[in-house]
Amino acid sequence: MATASVQPSQVLEPDVDDATKSDKPWIVIVWNDPINLMSYVTFVLQKLFGYSLEKATELMLDVHHKGRAVVSNGSRERAEFDVYRLHEHGLWATMEHETL
Amino acid sequence: MGNDGTRDIVKINKGPVVRTKHGTYKLDLPKDHCEILTHLIAELRDSLLNTTDNASLRRLFPTAYHNDAIKDAEYQRLMREELLASRLASIETALEVIGASNELSESEIDAFARSINSLRLVIGTTLDIAESDYGDPSIESRQSKSPETEPDEEKLIQSDLYDYLGWLLEWTVGAQSEGL
Repeated sequence: MATASVQPSQVLEPDVDDATKSDKPWIVIVWNDPINLMSYVTFVLQKLFGYSLEKATELMLDVHHKGRAVVSNGSRERAEFDVYRLHEHGLWATMEHETL
Repeated sequence: MGNDGTRDIVKINKGPVVRTKHGTYKLDLPKDHCEILTHLIAELRDSLLNTTDNASLRRLFPTAYHNDAIKDAEYQRLMREELLASRLASIETALEVIGASNELSESEIDAFARSINSLRLVIGTTLDIAESDYGDPSIESRQSKSPETEPDEEKLIQSDLYDYLGWLLEWTVGAQSEGL
């Protein structure tokens, strides 16, 4: 009968950079595009995230003047969900790890 | 971003989309507008059913991870079909409610708005709309991107449609915002 041989186990050291990275929250960014109406972007931000008109307008103006605005943050799953909903509404949204 | 959907539009005194006191919506468009919208939205549906990889449709399926191609490929593999199904569902609802005499629910007006915006994104992409176009609203400025070509009647029509859809979307969003 064959006996199970004991192999030296290989321990994978965690990549410190990856570990640190995975702890960081994700941010969802809406980018400026020349087609979407300002009123539409404001409305979508209010509707999807429950922002007040003032907050949504401020974010929309950041998108318009600075080229991008962070509209939400959280876990990767949450960010992917938000990106998906923004894409459903035709906004140009992406996600990345928050840089501290 | 486009800042005004009302340029070059024949003024109509009463808005085409109104929110009622019951929280429903009335869509009041002339018959010929309904026919054009129905035709355009059905055309968009057919294009989406054939391919999502042509240049003018790509704007409807944006990148999710702008600095990570591997993660983005995985995201697209998982979510692209779902996004396509969502767009097609909105389009079907929009086709049902355009020209219908009954009042629209919140989800129906939402589907209508998203379909109008999808159409506008596709036409805007085809026209190669840029931010600077909003400083000079003339159709000639859009034409001048191809100075070597004669004024293109097809582009003039698309430009008018683009403005019309902006005007219609502006009214729709205005009515929806009353419900927030």
